[in-house]
Amino acid sequence: MARGNVARPLTAIRQPSVLPGFGLTFGFTTFFLSALVLLPLAALVFMAASMSWSEFLHVVSSGRAIGSYRLSFGASLLAACINLVFGFVIAWTLVRYRFPGRKLVDALIDMPFALPTAVSGIALTTVFAQNGWIGQYLSVLGIRVAYTWIGVTVALTLIGMPFMVRTLQPAIAEVQRDLEEAAETLGAGRLYVFRRIVLPTVLPAMLTGFTLAFARAVGEYGSVIFIAGNIPKKTEITPLLIVIHLQEFDYRGAAALGFVMLVMSFIVLLTINLIHSWGRRRLVATAH
Amino acid sequence: MSISLDQVTKRYQGSTVVNDVSIDIGDGEFFVLLGPSGSGKSTLLRAIAGLTGVDHGRISLHGRDVTHLAARHRGVGLVFQNYALFRHMTVADNIEFALRVRRMRAAARRARRAELLRLVALEGLDDRLPAQLSGGQQQRVAVARALAHKPEVLLLDEPFGALDAKIREELRRTIREVQRELGITTVLVTHDQEEAFALADRIGIMNLGRLLEVGRPDDLYARPATRFVATFLGAANLLLARQGAGGLSFGNGPLVVPYQESASRGRTHEVVTVLRPEEIELAPSREGLRSPYMADGAVEEILFSGALERLRVRLRDGAAGAHIVRSDNSSEEPYLEVTRTQHEQRVFPLTPGQQVALGVRRLHVLPTPLSSFVACAATQALAEALSREPLLAELAMRMKTRVAVRVEPALGAHRPGSDAAAASPASETDAAGADFSGAAVISAGVPAVEWLLERGVDEVLILPERAAAPARVLIHWVNESARRATLAVSASLLRHISAEAVYVGILPEHGRPDAPRPLGMRALLDARSEAQFEHGLDMRTELRYGDVARELALHLAESRDQLLILGISDASEVSGRFAQLLANPTSPLLIVYRRAEPAAVHGPLESSPRVTAGQLRYA
Repeated sequence: MARGNVARPLTAIRQPSVLPGFGLTFGFTTFFLSALVLLPLAALVFMAASMSWSEFLHVVSSGRAIGSYRLSFGASLLAACINLVFGFVIAWTLVRYRFPGRKLVDALIDMPFALPTAVSGIALTTVFAQNGWIGQYLSVLGIRVAYTWIGVTVALTLIGMPFMVRTLQPAIAEVQRDLEEAAETLGAGRLYVFRRIVLPTVLPAMLTGFTLAFARAVGEYGSVIFIAGNIPKKTEITPLLIVIHLQEFDYRGAAALGFVMLVMSFIVLLTINLIHSWGRRRLVATAH
Repeated sequence: MSISLDQVTKRYQGSTVVNDVSIDIGDGEFFVLLGPSGSGKSTLLRAIAGLTGVDHGRISLHGRDVTHLAARHRGVGLVFQNYALFRHMTVADNIEFALRVRRMRAAARRARRAELLRLVALEGLDDRLPAQLSGGQQQRVAVARALAHKPEVLLLDEPFGALDAKIREELRRTIREVQRELGITTVLVTHDQEEAFALADRIGIMNLGRLLEVGRPDDLYARPATRFVATFLGAANLLLARQGAGGLSFGNGPLVVPYQESASRGRTHEVVTVLRPEEIELAPSREGLRSPYMADGAVEEILFSGALERLRVRLRDGAAGAHIVRSDNSSEEPYLEVTRTQHEQRVFPLTPGQQVALGVRRLHVLPTPLSSFVACAATQALAEALSREPLLAELAMRMKTRVAVRVEPALGAHRPGSDAAAASPASETDAAGADFSGAAVISAGVPAVEWLLERGVDEVLILPERAAAPARVLIHWVNESARRATLAVSASLLRHISAEAVYVGILPEHGRPDAPRPLGMRALLDARSEAQFEHGLDMRTELRYGDVARELALHLAESRDQLLILGISDASEVSGRFAQLLANPTSPLLIVYRRAEPAAVHGPLESSPRVTAGQLRYA
């Protein structure tokens, strides 16, 4: 893929298609990407660049900012990891088994997509607060969920879950039963079949799901602020910090924090994508 | 024995997918399971592999009971229709999969892989991914992979299904060669009879979950025992014929075709014959035939298909009555299928419409006790209504036989005794002649049953209106002399419907001095083994205590979807103790009547002659 599309003349990429002309569609793609993604990002960078270096450093390396990065990225990574496991189990159950109410469960998966995130935040807080349905039992065990980093992780897990499940479902459907059965007749135990047959087939989808869930969690704002308690340096996420800067009309400070988030997100996503394509290339490489 | 299945039964969501299958497959044998889709053959193969559990029965591999053993411990190699190769692994990794699981050293793995790739003629393709191979090559990889761990048994589930004709032929040869070279016991599942003929040492034919017949391909083709096998294995014309001491006649023609095989029941009776299209000879006149004359016919249609010429020939005159499917039952006129070689075409060129004489080079009589059904009633309208009963139509369709209509005014007279019948001669719509042939079907009535039995009818089916398709067939015979016939008829019927067979044994209540001599346990077990051995019919046994007629009536009253097959040898019992049972039954009731022969008073064991195992099964 990466080997030289750029070097080829446009006519070589052009292929007969149902959509009207390549030029037109390509033009649209560039236009929309520029107007909706690239230009606003450039504006952000531009805004941050108008600060002096020391000013910039002061904003982005304050104790409060550092704490918020740790929480935002840490909780997002943790939530994505949780989703990796539980999202897989949910997707597996939905694809592999036929049980009464399966359609209902399948529809429930999409609820976090549709619900205003503030609503899910309030709902979670009600349940996990110290006098909530689940929170009251957890507090007996000495575990506090609401207003701690655990609550933030719970909220981010909820938000990311549908991305994971929806990405994995088609991939799991792809793992045909007879592949597992073939492996079984060849003497493989269940764990071996899972490790050598199921996992390699769904791994690309798992990485994609992880990326989506992580990206969504980093940008999440609405649901977290209700359950986090927003104690500076402890349970304050970066997006909230940005909003606080904005409320104080400190646009440049907000832009600086935004820029840091942008860079860090970009690094994480790029890493995952590299792992992804490295895995794929390794597969193809063995073929020759 | 390499593979031994003992009464294997598998139910799935209430229906029986594999019904009581027993086979022994020898070491190094190539066994083909042949059957239409949905016959349960794939399920049976999966049960052998251990991918599907069974509800009943035992599976042994090389003398080891593996019924409850997981697939990975069974030591079988399985090849799937869609290859089921691991797409993210190379050919080498696919083949070595089973060896890696067993933690074999890399060098040994490589050696084994090279050996296997040579075996399936794929040397040098080690590093390809499955997606880079053609379908035929992928299936070869699958075969090599299944053989890697040196399994004791190779199982192939429709392995050629997804390939085109030429590749299929090539791969077929490879598999046969590999199988011979390794001497590995192999079971292949297919619905393609040509494939079965090309590969099999023995073929087992399945339908509706039952294993109908097992045998060498040429034997099964020449001497099928069941209608299903006769028509499923190659093309076959099924004709009704009358068999007498001198031979066979078709329709109401004279006894013409000499046929001595198989002992007849003494008097002339109706049989079902199998005529292969290539065994029919055509000539301008009867004198020109080199084989025994059968009937006259007219050529309807000629199709040229390469080496062979296919003809449709309509039987003329009286012989037309021999057709199993009558013109009034089907939109298409019945015809005989005939094939001729190029040589025959040159000797006697034909054009459509031409009159010909037909001869039979070879034919085969199916050992079936139920040749056809005759719906009998007092008026034409009643008889026709009876012949259209859903259950009867379904039975006839499944058994590939016909339902004739016969008007017998005597059946209208509700008086016992035959005076009325003798006074009014029967008006015929059945072409077979004055004698009854096949099983008579009536709607109800004790006098009717008696009247029919007196006229030499052996089987009478009493069919209540809109009877349900039976889920259970109850079997009972009153005297030992009716046992053989009852079992044969039961097996014949059960071969075509998926119902459970239940033998109802009834012992007299204790302490009753006037009770008849009890049917001993020994006799009961003998009956079961005879059913299993001769007919491949597995019966569940239920024991009841009390009066025979009353207990049977009670059993029938339990649910509507039952059918009773009652064997009797004394016609007077119809109006005697069974009068109430037969008078107005709510479930269908099949009476099998065999006159007691005074000579047959041996014990059950001596009286059943040994038949070659599994061969003499009834159609």
